[in-house]
Amino acid sequence: MKKGNNILKTIGALWSKYSYIFVAVIIFLGYAYVIGANGRQFNWGHISGILGSQNTCIVGVMALGMALVIITGGIDLSLGANLVLATGCSIMVYNITNSIPLMFITAVAAGAAGGLVNGLLVGYIKMPPFIATLGTQLIYRSYMLSIVREIDVNIAGSSSSQFMLLSDSKYYEFLKFNIGNGKINLGAIDFPIITLILIAFVALLMVVSKCTKFGKKVYAVGSNDKSARLAGINVELTKCLVYVCAGALVGVGAFLQACKVGSVTPASSGVSYEMYAVIACVLGGINMSGGRGNLLGVAFGAMSYSAVSMIIVNIPGLTVDIQNAFQGLVLITVILIQLVGPMIKEKIRQYKKHREGAKA
Amino acid sequence: MALLEMNNIYKTFGETTVLHGVHLDLNEGEVHALLGENGAGKSTLMNILTGVLPADKGSIVFDGKSYADPTIQEMEKAGIAFVHQELNVINDLTVQENIFLCREIRNKAGLLNKKEMIAKTKQLFDDLGVDMNPTVMVSELKTAEKQLLEICRALYTNAKLLILDEPTTALSNDEIDHLFSIINNLKAQGKSFIFISHKMPEIFAIADRYTVFRNGEFISSGNIKDTNARDITSDMVGAKYEETDTYKERELGEVVLELKNATGIGFENINLTARKGEIIAFTGLAGSGASECMQTIFGAQHLDNGEIVVNGKKLEGSILKHMKNSVGLLPANRRENSVIPDLTILENYSIAENSLSGNRPFIIKKSEIKKYLEDKKRLNIKAENHDDLIDALSGGNKQKVFLGRWLNTGVDVLLFDNPTQGVDVGAKAEIYKLILEFAKQGKTIIINTLEIPEIQKVADRCLVFYDGHIVKEFKHSEVNEKDVMLYSTNAINS
Repeated sequence: MKKGNNILKTIGALWSKYSYIFVAVIIFLGYAYVIGANGRQFNWGHISGILGSQNTCIVGVMALGMALVIITGGIDLSLGANLVLATGCSIMVYNITNSIPLMFITAVAAGAAGGLVNGLLVGYIKMPPFIATLGTQLIYRSYMLSIVREIDVNIAGSSSSQFMLLSDSKYYEFLKFNIGNGKINLGAIDFPIITLILIAFVALLMVVSKCTKFGKKVYAVGSNDKSARLAGINVELTKCLVYVCAGALVGVGAFLQACKVGSVTPASSGVSYEMYAVIACVLGGINMSGGRGNLLGVAFGAMSYSAVSMIIVNIPGLTVDIQNAFQGLVLITVILIQLVGPMIKEKIRQYKKHREGAKA
Repeated sequence: MALLEMNNIYKTFGETTVLHGVHLDLNEGEVHALLGENGAGKSTLMNILTGVLPADKGSIVFDGKSYADPTIQEMEKAGIAFVHQELNVINDLTVQENIFLCREIRNKAGLLNKKEMIAKTKQLFDDLGVDMNPTVMVSELKTAEKQLLEICRALYTNAKLLILDEPTTALSNDEIDHLFSIINNLKAQGKSFIFISHKMPEIFAIADRYTVFRNGEFISSGNIKDTNARDITSDMVGAKYEETDTYKERELGEVVLELKNATGIGFENINLTARKGEIIAFTGLAGSGASECMQTIFGAQHLDNGEIVVNGKKLEGSILKHMKNSVGLLPANRRENSVIPDLTILENYSIAENSLSGNRPFIIKKSEIKKYLEDKKRLNIKAENHDDLIDALSGGNKQKVFLGRWLNTGVDVLLFDNPTQGVDVGAKAEIYKLILEFAKQGKTIIINTLEIPEIQKVADRCLVFYDGHIVKEFKHSEVNEKDVMLYSTNAINS
């Protein structure tokens, strides 16, 4: 009895600290089960399919930025629209210059510029983040929508209201097949390149959040901005910078989008990505009220989220239309467990105390 | 006949007895001043009277009726209203809506009868001589008007006894006069008041009788016209003798901090020079300007006029710039202004140093731990693991971590705003010993506190603030509780 209690306690402690890993494992097991039930063999291909998917990598890298913003107590609703802005700009620059470095730099710079507008509005003008980023969301997407048709076809890359890498350009094959959908052979397994890029950025952001003074300031501002200010932290600047970081990471996502998909459609690409990023953050254990959360969790969150959509696709009789409902359900269930768990624990504790009291 | 009689009231919280059989009686149509230092038991008694806390022992008779264990609702119905120091009006409703909150008048259709409520509010204001528009939003009112609104609200429920807890802290002199004329007016109508205040001139202007508590015991009671401010003050303070043997006079160095005609929010024309190794105490009631002045030296509040000079350099701009010019502030209200709850003990300790050394972006945890362990030993911080969250520590140990936060920055001028707030007695003594040690090592220290025994323990001199000005300077040997109280309550001029 005693021993059982201890094991439960250890699991409980691990759950509360690394809930995102448990969630990911459970969802992957569910995926394996569904594949098995369909009479197929669950193998590395399925896993790498999730790892290299748009949902894991593009949303994942954007969710890292979202996580920083949420840790300071804000939110960035303009991420999806900013993705269109940054991807559009970077594709245009590539189509003009045929230069991959310039394409990447443009993506990051355009994204960061989009983030800077949010940062100035939220940090210095003290506009509620929800409102400021809702406004920029509308502006960025609609602006790209309005210019896409006006631009020369050789620059936009397409005449059908989208920005597209010119397929006859010098590096088209390299970008699309060697990077976007390319794999690297690691002994027994093939690993998607864009997942490696995601992992690199997760590592970078973990170093920034854990080992730099800027990272500490981000957590401090989100935890108690009054104390942070009185410890000499420039709260306005810190808030502004996290939006710039989020924008720059959108830029990285934009580069991945250009490589993986080869195009971006202002009317439909990246719609709701900011919400998917929030889901990845929440599943990854980032506290929505700010101050708490580990960026490693965000990568797991993004993976869990895209695995759920793969499960839906593989259940016969379910259509893609119902996908969002299931994702919503998983989100609510995970949070429910996190919130209700301690409540039930407290109830049990009270009940025990009550019973002991009655005995005495 | 007495309206209220509270006899032999006892109250214990855990191990500590906060009320030792106190009594309080009050006649109809009387303003009764309830006096005592912080922690004397005034608030506890008022909470018992209004049904917020149950008494352990004792009797309450109000308006001829005895109450054994009253609830909040019972006492409200009986006619007792508590006007709290922090105002309880709702800013986003109109004046009229606040008065009728939870007792709205409705018409036959069940909808609000605004017309009648506005008319009744107007009537009430006319009776009281209050000039306020019933339809204006409360958020647009001045603090004094909000105070009046709360009193009006209490009167609308036909309260017979109003408890006013430090009602004048946020009011200007004219506003205080207006409030007093309304109180006098109501007194003539037979309403009674319990008036809690630390400001002697006000008590002598408005109260008829008084009761003094000290350390949870009844000390004295009587008519205001038979006493004077000095007697009441010594009743409040008692004949306490505090050991001062930890204090030793030190050799002071060159001038480090200089205030020249400094004027800011809440204080005016403050002149001050502080030397290396000196400990200066600020004291004054809430709103006297002492804390505000301190925050301005640190750059947390704007300096409107005058100069603040540290080590020959004029200070201006952000808090960080002030820190770079060697000023650190341990703010009051630890929970709100110092604690960063989601960071660990080590991170909380290092955060101010981190912002000072922002040009070196990486954190070297090893060297931070080394510094922390040194200060942990020096400050005698009782903490197990530096990676635990800060909230794992007790109040005293948290405060020591925050002392360490500023020591770690190496600043020359340390400002401590109420540093022993919410700290137990043992840790208090330790903190004051540490402050003396810092001074010995050449820091310039200013402490803002209301606890005079602590000033006697550490300060080389004590500056008393009243109404935004320094009204008196005491040398170390001259500091005694009674005189400091006389000046900080402005009893000397009444």
